[in-house]
Amino acid sequence: MRRRTFLQSLLAVFGAVSVASFAYPLLRFLAPPSDANRDRKFTLAKKDIPIGTSRVVLVNDKPVIVINEQGKGYIALSSVCTHLGCLVGYEAAKNILVCPCHGGTYDLEGNVLSGPPPRPLSKVPLKVESEQLVIG
Amino acid sequence: MRWYIMMLGLLLVFPLTASGDYREEFEQGFLTKTWSGQQPEENFCIECHSSDKMKPEFLTLAEEWKASWHAQNGIACHDCHGGDPKDSSMSMSPHRGFVGKPSPAEVPEFCGKCHIGILKNYMESGHGKAFRSSGNGPNCVTCHGSHGIQQANIDIINEQRCTKCHSYDRARAMKQALFLTEKKIGELAADLLTLRKEGVYIEDQRKNLFSIQAEFRALFHSVDVNLVKDRTDEFSHKLAAVEKEIVSTRQELRSRRNFSAFLLLVFAGMGSALYLLTKTPKE
Amino acid sequence: MNGTAKRIRNWLEVRVGLDELIRSNLTDYRVPSNINLFHTLGAVAVVGYLIQVITGICLLIYYIPHADHAFRSVQEIMTRVPYGWLFRQMHVVGSNLLIAAVFVHMVTIFLMGNYKRPRELTWISGGLLMVITLCFGFSGYLLPWTQLSYWATTVATSIPTAFPVVGDFVSRLLRGGSSVTGITLTRFFAVHVSLLPPLFVFLMVVHIALIRRIGLSATPFGRSDEEKRPLTEFRKKLHPDGYPYYPYLLQKQALMGILYFVVMFLVISFAPTFFFPEEATVPADAFKTPESIRPEWYFLAPYQMLKIIPNKFLGISLQIILLAVFIFWPFLDTHKEKNIFKRPVLRGVFIAIMIAMVILMWWGRR
Repeated sequence: MRRRTFLQSLLAVFGAVSVASFAYPLLRFLAPPSDANRDRKFTLAKKDIPIGTSRVVLVNDKPVIVINEQGKGYIALSSVCTHLGCLVGYEAAKNILVCPCHGGTYDLEGNVLSGPPPRPLSKVPLKVESEQLVIG
Repeated sequence: MRWYIMMLGLLLVFPLTASGDYREEFEQGFLTKTWSGQQPEENFCIECHSSDKMKPEFLTLAEEWKASWHAQNGIACHDCHGGDPKDSSMSMSPHRGFVGKPSPAEVPEFCGKCHIGILKNYMESGHGKAFRSSGNGPNCVTCHGSHGIQQANIDIINEQRCTKCHSYDRARAMKQALFLTEKKIGELAADLLTLRKEGVYIEDQRKNLFSIQAEFRALFHSVDVNLVKDRTDEFSHKLAAVEKEIVSTRQELRSRRNFSAFLLLVFAGMGSALYLLTKTPKE
Repeated sequence: MNGTAKRIRNWLEVRVGLDELIRSNLTDYRVPSNINLFHTLGAVAVVGYLIQVITGICLLIYYIPHADHAFRSVQEIMTRVPYGWLFRQMHVVGSNLLIAAVFVHMVTIFLMGNYKRPRELTWISGGLLMVITLCFGFSGYLLPWTQLSYWATTVATSIPTAFPVVGDFVSRLLRGGSSVTGITLTRFFAVHVSLLPPLFVFLMVVHIALIRRIGLSATPFGRSDEEKRPLTEFRKKLHPDGYPYYPYLLQKQALMGILYFVVMFLVISFAPTFFFPEEATVPADAFKTPESIRPEWYFLAPYQMLKIIPNKFLGISLQIILLAVFIFWPFLDTHKEKNIFKRPVLRGVFIAIMIAMVILMWWGRR
């Protein structure tokens, strides 16, 4: 009888542990991702980017190119080329973005104009606040 | 019994209908449709350059290209030479953008259509200046070859090649300056491939590493040893960040295995307890 | 506390007759005394199916059924989402184990002759359940949108084209066009998560209801009174001298269910890439055919058979006939003898089929 009780409680313990070790992952799985690292924004002074120039800044560890386009204002795009990951540069004369590695070109909306990139560059939200640009 | 007969009858009837005109048609359909999505591509460049009518010096180009790094990455004849590989009569027409063989003076621009960053650094380098002033200095194909181009590696810098024009001293210094960073890049690339074999998606890290490598190699094309030395630290930092990610991925894989093994033990324990319980009489 | 539990119990008792329910289903429900471990395989399949349902719902929370996002979302589940890897691994390893369990279940039922009258309908519903399980595997395989899944699906959906007149149409219907595209993905997704599950549940309920209604067979191996008597009226097979279902068989079933988990975590711990070859981490690319494409192991035998039969139409019709023979087998095998050891021809055919399947599978793997 004692052996039986012992085994029964042992079984109950194992059962409880197994339920707990699925319940915890499930909770973590369903929990919304923490936004501690997400919403860090980057602020930049307007005067740092004259018309017709660009600057690359790191927003949440990801390089973002901010362009001040003549007549259109500020644009922020991911500067990581969708082909093999090189950083694209702004060519003011042609008003396009060019990847130095394999010559992929994008317009200032991020759309692929020519070359090997499979996808457009992703847009990064940008807000103009008096003398500041808030990116991210 | 009648079921057997009916089934046997069906067995015989089905193939009979197949033996007529259908047969060949369906087999062909099956064989070609299997890989639909990829049509066998007709390429008149390759076709003519592999035919008997071609001059012998042009005959090897297609074979060289097929073994090249360009071919492995889907870069075909018309990507560099223009023209239309799908239209035999117009394939070499300037109207379709055909440019043919570049003159030696045109080579850097020819390759630089795609390799923009490299072209820029090369043109400003000692190599580039020599090339521009004489029109015949070291250019892309001097070191990399043309149709048979392979993935670049540090051994392209070697005594035999560099001493064609100048002493090896400066080239050796450059090779030494590149060596450690190049070695690290190679090791990290191999690590990433191992991780992929272990089922990890590593495309983002791979792109990051490629970008670092491309930037470093563009820097090399300035053939300025001091510039490379000055910026080596910066590259080491970037590579260290990639390495850190690889290490943490390995840790993650280990902790997954441990957690799963823990679950294994829990269930094994549960099973044993239950088994013993079934073998224990009630009273 | 004890009082509360008693009150709840009483509350249920007067409303749904709890005691009688438990008695008739657990203790008064008797199973034959010579029952063996193979009789638990059906229960193991139920456990396996439940795991697929729960982990499947988990995956559904983060999965995006769109050609542009499917691959990425699956990789995020594997790398970003906390414990996403656990649920995906359980789902993938579970699907393979489930098919294996169902397969063994079927083979043992066949060997024990339990498909014979009056249990023909149980066999047919079981056979259909197996077909649906395979459809689950087939449709789920495409969803991660990897090179492996893309090309395996391309090959598999081209098989119907070997069939005259309707073949092309069937292929196009499966693919939603002339090749495998994002349209195929959403189709397979819909089939996998909304068409097959209710069908499966329905057939499973029928299957289990039939088992309970007819009663467990007292085999293994040997004729019982139900085969001897002329089948003129319904008589439920009871086992008055057998053991009560609880705890006797339920314990065995629980033990085998736990074993199922043990095997699953054995694979996940020590062979996590067993079902993930390298192509499984490369996104689908319609322009790059991988060097070796082959379907999953459970489709290898039919796939290889189709490959070696020179006439594809003959091959595919043969497979359809084999499937029909398999499902309607109880009507074809009218021999009264249940014990396969007393039927050398059937035994020989069975062994030949098993050997042929193993050879074809091995061959299909190259």
